[in-house]
Amino acid sequence: MTLNIYYVTAIAVGYAGLLFLVAWYARRRAEQGRSLVNNPYVYSLSIAVYCTSWTFYGSVGKAATSGIDFLMIYLGPSLVAFSWFYILRRIIRISKENNVSSIADFISLRYGNSQLLGSLVTLIAVLGIMPYIALQIKAVVTSFALISGVTHRTITLPGADAAISFPTSLSLALILSIFGVIFGARRLPSAERHEGLIAAVAFESIIKLVSLVSVGIFVTWFMFDGFGDILTRFNQQFPELFNRLFTLHPTEGRGFIPSSTMLFLSMGAIILLPRQFHVMVIENADLRHISKAMWLFPTYLFLINLFIMPIALGGILQYGGNAGADYFVISLPLAAGNSFMALLAFLGGLSAAAGMVMVESVALSTMLLNNLFMPIIVRITPKQWFPVLLINLKRLAIFFVVFLGYFYYQAVGDSFMLVNMGLISFLAALQFLPALLGGLYWPRGNKIGAITGMALGFLIWCYTLLIPSFHAATPDSTIMLHGLFGQSLLKPTALFGLTGMDMWSHSLFWSMLFNVGAYLICSLLLSQSDGEKEQVRRFIGKFETERRQVKSATKRLSKPVTIPQFIALMGKFIGPGEASQAMTGYLKGRMIDGENAVPEFELPAMKRFVERTLAGSVGAAAAGAIMDSYLSDMGSRMESVYDIFSTVRASLDQSREALYVRLKASEIINRTLDLQTIMDELLQLLLKEFRLDVALIQIRSSSDVPLAVQSYQGCDRRPISPEHWFQESDPYVKMAMIDQTTHFVNDINNLQEIITMPKTEAEGFISFAHIPIYREGEESLGVLSVYSKSIIGLFTEEFIGLLTSLTGQLAQAARLASEMQAKERERREKEQALLANARVKRDMEIAEQIQLSLLPAEPPLLFGVELAGRCYPAAHVGGDYYDFFKRDDHTIDLLIADVSGHSVGAALIMAEVRTLLRAQSSRAVSPSSILETLNSQLYDDLTRAELFITMFYARYSAATGRLSYANAGHNKPLIHRLGQQSCIELDAEGLILGIKPSMVFEERTITLQAGDTLLFYTDGIPEATDQSGELLGTGQVCHHLSQQSTLTVNQIADSFFELVKEYSQSTTLQDDVSMVVMKIVS
Amino acid sequence: MWRSNLQKALKRLHLRESWVIFFVLGNVMLNFPFLKIFNQPTTLLGFPLLYLYFTLGWAISIGVIYLFASSAEPEQTEPDTEEQAPR
Repeated sequence: MTLNIYYVTAIAVGYAGLLFLVAWYARRRAEQGRSLVNNPYVYSLSIAVYCTSWTFYGSVGKAATSGIDFLMIYLGPSLVAFSWFYILRRIIRISKENNVSSIADFISLRYGNSQLLGSLVTLIAVLGIMPYIALQIKAVVTSFALISGVTHRTITLPGADAAISFPTSLSLALILSIFGVIFGARRLPSAERHEGLIAAVAFESIIKLVSLVSVGIFVTWFMFDGFGDILTRFNQQFPELFNRLFTLHPTEGRGFIPSSTMLFLSMGAIILLPRQFHVMVIENADLRHISKAMWLFPTYLFLINLFIMPIALGGILQYGGNAGADYFVISLPLAAGNSFMALLAFLGGLSAAAGMVMVESVALSTMLLNNLFMPIIVRITPKQWFPVLLINLKRLAIFFVVFLGYFYYQAVGDSFMLVNMGLISFLAALQFLPALLGGLYWPRGNKIGAITGMALGFLIWCYTLLIPSFHAATPDSTIMLHGLFGQSLLKPTALFGLTGMDMWSHSLFWSMLFNVGAYLICSLLLSQSDGEKEQVRRFIGKFETERRQVKSATKRLSKPVTIPQFIALMGKFIGPGEASQAMTGYLKGRMIDGENAVPEFELPAMKRFVERTLAGSVGAAAAGAIMDSYLSDMGSRMESVYDIFSTVRASLDQSREALYVRLKASEIINRTLDLQTIMDELLQLLLKEFRLDVALIQIRSSSDVPLAVQSYQGCDRRPISPEHWFQESDPYVKMAMIDQTTHFVNDINNLQEIITMPKTEAEGFISFAHIPIYREGEESLGVLSVYSKSIIGLFTEEFIGLLTSLTGQLAQAARLASEMQAKERERREKEQALLANARVKRDMEIAEQIQLSLLPAEPPLLFGVELAGRCYPAAHVGGDYYDFFKRDDHTIDLLIADVSGHSVGAALIMAEVRTLLRAQSSRAVSPSSILETLNSQLYDDLTRAELFITMFYARYSAATGRLSYANAGHNKPLIHRLGQQSCIELDAEGLILGIKPSMVFEERTITLQAGDTLLFYTDGIPEATDQSGELLGTGQVCHHLSQQSTLTVNQIADSFFELVKEYSQSTTLQDDVSMVVMKIVS
Repeated sequence: MWRSNLQKALKRLHLRESWVIFFVLGNVMLNFPFLKIFNQPTTLLGFPLLYLYFTLGWAISIGVIYLFASSAEPEQTEPDTEEQAPR
């Protein structure tokens, strides 16, 4: 039974439409940000692209002919799933980091972006996959023929009058190519995920599973009575075949080699086939999907294989043999007359084939574009139409890949079983295994080894599998029978005389022997290039080094490239819109201002980003080449950073030198407080440890003073003047002061035009840096400047970091020093003040002594009179004064005076008064005239000193008992007369001395009697105040005098002093207290 | 209860080594000496012995991956699981 060809075609076209719908919907969802395919289930289903029409048709064929070993093809991947958790995760992570777009990219990336290796991988992949694509074409064409009943190569349309010949296989190839273009080459960036493609592939995976399981159930339970029934009937009908199919056949002299070979091949194929690498690595949306896929994918394989054996056995039972077993899946339902099942089976097979061809052609076209076309294209100067050219080249590559398969099918197609064609491809893909695994886990594996091994393995594969496959139809050709040039040792299926193996095991053995052998030997004998070493770090020691890489780049761009330049470069390959979008995304995460120049340390990272972005479209090798040629056009190149910290790193981010310098610096800073010494020694340390030529520190003492050089170390120590060459750096220094960041120039030849430094350049300096000296949150104190004559690119991020931390310490030290200075100054001032005070005090004490000595040591003796004088100054010196002048044996002058104030001035005036009085004492003049003379003599001095004097002057004549006296505004002396209570006040008219230049004083006379006690006193006695501010008063003085009058004059005088002290309740006197007591004895 | 205990036990076993051991074990089981043991033309409950061995062994291995992978899942949110594993 067959189905109408139009009907089948319509169904197939409808199915294709459905696929497009699924893809379109998935893409729309992705654009909306609600991805349909971003989950582990779709990821697992997309990996199931592994199950092609080989599985769908071929497995049954294999099961029906050689038996159970067909399972090995699925047990292998299932087993490998155990290793995904590590190997696959690592591959995906590296790929995502580097925008890897294919397995060729991945392998060439590991071996230093080798274009040759990338091309080789591509060549092997394209030629190796050729039979595999042929297999798909053959399967679909055959199944179409079966279901519609037309002959193989052409279709004769039943309705037409004349039979029209229509090549089915050619049109199928065309349709599959168009599928590939539509699903996989809409846009250029091939490292990004194709959501539509994946959705379609996942949908196809569901269809093929449902279809095959349905057919299985149909055959098992509808055509037969279940599993047991098929087995029993088969065992009865073909007991020998039963045992043959359900065991492996070590009896044929091959041991278990064929099954092990198949297991090994399939284990490699699951990741090495370009389409598997594409869906598992490139299209992986999330690393977390792996752990679910690890069991979901094997489950899928398990389910799809569950009914292979029953269908195979059922087919043999049905047809009595295994002829046409490859298509039992479709022929059994047809034989049973179930057209729906047959159609479902056809669709399943179509899905399996279409899915495989789509993904494979996309993956291979990417490889072709990036690794074969690109190396040529990058030699041309980039043009505006490049993106258009590239995408169309990619589309062309898809056609190329599919049609290569088509031609292979035309050449060998019918002579091979499906499975056997597939195994040829598996073995080709396996040639990648040593380089891939070695690249991931063996640090010494190198480019030469990978290329040699892969090339040798590929040649052996060609010779032992590909060539025999072309001769499969003619097994008796010369080369097959007698070997190349008739050398039997070179017989393709028995190379070097190795016989007794099936052709796959044979080819596997030889190709792997040469591949692995050459890889190991070359890697061990030859060394890696720098580029490779860098990649080895990324691939193997990847994660530790990555962190260090961020810390300090080991390369720098000799001439900076600006962001617009980078965008323009990317734009030429991926289109301007996408380029600026990518750059914006990159900048957003890095806090770099797109407008300004890129900080130098960011440049290598940015270059890497641009390279990665380009790699996403043109492959890693080509991207590297594009970048290199672009940089050299610009006159820039990557050069090694001068590694100032060359020894082993002692900790994660500090080298031993850096630690040493830090240690030394803190030693210097802690040793002394002298800022000058610290600065000098610090600069000398820098000069000694790093190859600097000049280091200098400029500091300002306060924010309104300009910077001044505080320390200058190194060569060229001429006098510092405004003409000195280093003054040219002033703009940098000022910027550093203001923005408190380091400003440095790594190559004076690449200076921005704004600042020119002809003198510095003439001196031979090529790099310099200015590091602000400041404490966090405070104004800059100054700037440390360092200059080098020998090293371009001296100032790495790490070095600048070290210098910054040193200036931080220096600022701390400077602050400490200035604090210490301030403290010292304060202490000295205080000391000075104390010293001056002490000196003044001593002077005052001396003055006191002198003043006291000016007073009469003891009163003169006069018959009939007792005299006592006292003076108690409140301060050291005072203005009180009393004196006696004995004129003759009977006459004595007494005086008491009070110069206003207690100052030294008062004391000096008092001394002057004394001198003047002594000069007059010999002249016999009356008290009033003495006062008058005194006033006129003292007036000028007193006015100038703004002082004045009160004075009481009396003359007592013992002979007459008369006391004549004059008063210049002084307290009136008191007389206590024996037997009287009240006192007599001695009063006489007269103004205070020093008010007028000439004055007249009244002179009075009183006759004293025996027993009279006279008290001359200053205002210190009556004006003494008690706690409440009450004055002692003249009344009290008089009262005290009358009470004490019986005592001796000395006792009276002392008692008055006691009285004042008692009354005022204080140990210190408020005012000078002076008095003269005179008692008339007879 | 038993499930959480199982989870705990699995977590303890969830090491890089476990995956390697299973991988090697699977390879051994699918190669010469083991295959020879089961490569007998006899049937068990009507099923050929080798067929049963493959099918059941396969199903069991999937179960093992399932248990291990699902017990490992919480750790997966940690981005550097692989790298934190002792080397």
